[in-house]
Amino acid sequence: MNMIEFRNVSKIYENNTVALKDINLVIKKGEFVFIVGPSGSGKSTFIKLIIKETPVTKGTIFIAGRNICALKSNKIPQLRRNIGCIFQDYKLLSDRTVFENIAFALEVIGKPNYVIKAQVPQVLKLVGLYNKMDSYPHQLSGGEQQRVCIARAFVNRPPILLADEPTGNLDPATSEGIMKLLSRINLIGTTVVMATHEKSIVNSMRRRVIEMEDGLIIRDQKRGVYGT
Amino acid sequence: MGFTAITTVAITLFIVGVFSIIVFDIQSVLNSIEKEVEIAVYLKDNISNDLKTYLENEIKSWPEVESVDYVSKEQALEKFKAQNEGSDILKEIQGNPLPASFEIKLKDPQKVEQVALRFVDKDGKNIDGVDEVIYGKSYIRKLFSITAVTGTIALLVIIILVLATMVLIYNTIRLSIYARRKEIEVMKLVGATNWYVRAPFLFEGLFEGLLGAGIAVTMLYLLNKFLLVKGESAIIDTMHIKNLAILGSSNIVMLAYFGIIIIGGLIGILSSGFALRRYLKV
Repeated sequence: MNMIEFRNVSKIYENNTVALKDINLVIKKGEFVFIVGPSGSGKSTFIKLIIKETPVTKGTIFIAGRNICALKSNKIPQLRRNIGCIFQDYKLLSDRTVFENIAFALEVIGKPNYVIKAQVPQVLKLVGLYNKMDSYPHQLSGGEQQRVCIARAFVNRPPILLADEPTGNLDPATSEGIMKLLSRINLIGTTVVMATHEKSIVNSMRRRVIEMEDGLIIRDQKRGVYGT
Repeated sequence: MGFTAITTVAITLFIVGVFSIIVFDIQSVLNSIEKEVEIAVYLKDNISNDLKTYLENEIKSWPEVESVDYVSKEQALEKFKAQNEGSDILKEIQGNPLPASFEIKLKDPQKVEQVALRFVDKDGKNIDGVDEVIYGKSYIRKLFSITAVTGTIALLVIIILVLATMVLIYNTIRLSIYARRKEIEVMKLVGATNWYVRAPFLFEGLFEGLLGAGIAVTMLYLLNKFLLVKGESAIIDTMHIKNLAILGSSNIVMLAYFGIIIIGGLIGILSSGFALRRYLKV
């Protein structure tokens, strides 16, 4: 089953920056895909288009077979509930505890309290932060904060997980832990798409690599490495 | 956070309220003056009884006319004496120099000129039996234009005040959106519906608007109770005008209070709605 499909997708920003040029690609359910390339190559735009944070200029994107370009703005929340997002800067709320940060993601989509009380500890166990659920983000290390971010993205069990440079602020050892966690999530059947420019991570994982440059796909390789 | 906005709404709506009540009273004063507008048709002393009766019936048949009173020479003199009692002028009067007249009241005072001109023939002379027609041409025109102008100015000032308040609430809500931008970003990313994100801000705007309006109504009530009533009784005593807004009927005051509350709520909801439209794009 095709989880993410781009058909002739171009993105030109209002200031005439061409971010993506006529991209065609298919990502199947359960795949783990690296999007690599230098800054400005179009990696982040790629991710923003999938959650419809910005509209496509030309072409069509299908998520789980549905054309999301035709999606009305009031249906976008529904799309985003099926896609978890992880960021380089974690985007945690500093005045809330770990538990509350994750609970917040469930609250705002209207999950009842008993679901929150059951699911949050569960996902915290998965990311290894069960004993830190009452800590505030500033009391955690960078790696731990990223785990909270992953927990928040995954607590609703979305079929797709997008990660935009999730290890960008972390040291290699911590990054390795994050990658293991993402692998585990992928093993459960979640499609994971991760944008990165960290060579060692890509090389150690040996997963599908899509390399971008100037808005074009210049390489798409199964079990690839960072450089050719 | 919203303290500034609430205070501003309160002060603005208070001013709007005071202003509306004053304008309403000016209007009712002007209206009652308008109602007093009448046409005096002075008759020649040598007018025949037939012609007099003919004129009276003719005037009565006009649709614009509410009432016609005939004032005879004698009645005119008595009136004059009563008005100038004790004055030396009475000693100077020999016989009865005052003319008889018709006093005409109109249903619509705006038609005064139209009616008055019927006593003048094509050549600009008064018709038979009529000596002079008096209806205060320039004074009446001024009165009508004052009525119209005060109404327009009042409306303009009220609109400007309301807009100014809206800008202030708009800014408060924008600030509170800015303060919570990270929360909003996360909400949007995890798929909160647009209404879920909007609702707290709309509620905040509504709350600020209503609270401000409530304070304004309280201030108006106090002012009305302790100041305006006295001031207006003074006006009534000196100008002999009745049916003023606040004194005349409490219904109108209640209506004003109710209106202010509604306006306050609307200001709050609308301005936060605008702020959200521009800054949330959810």
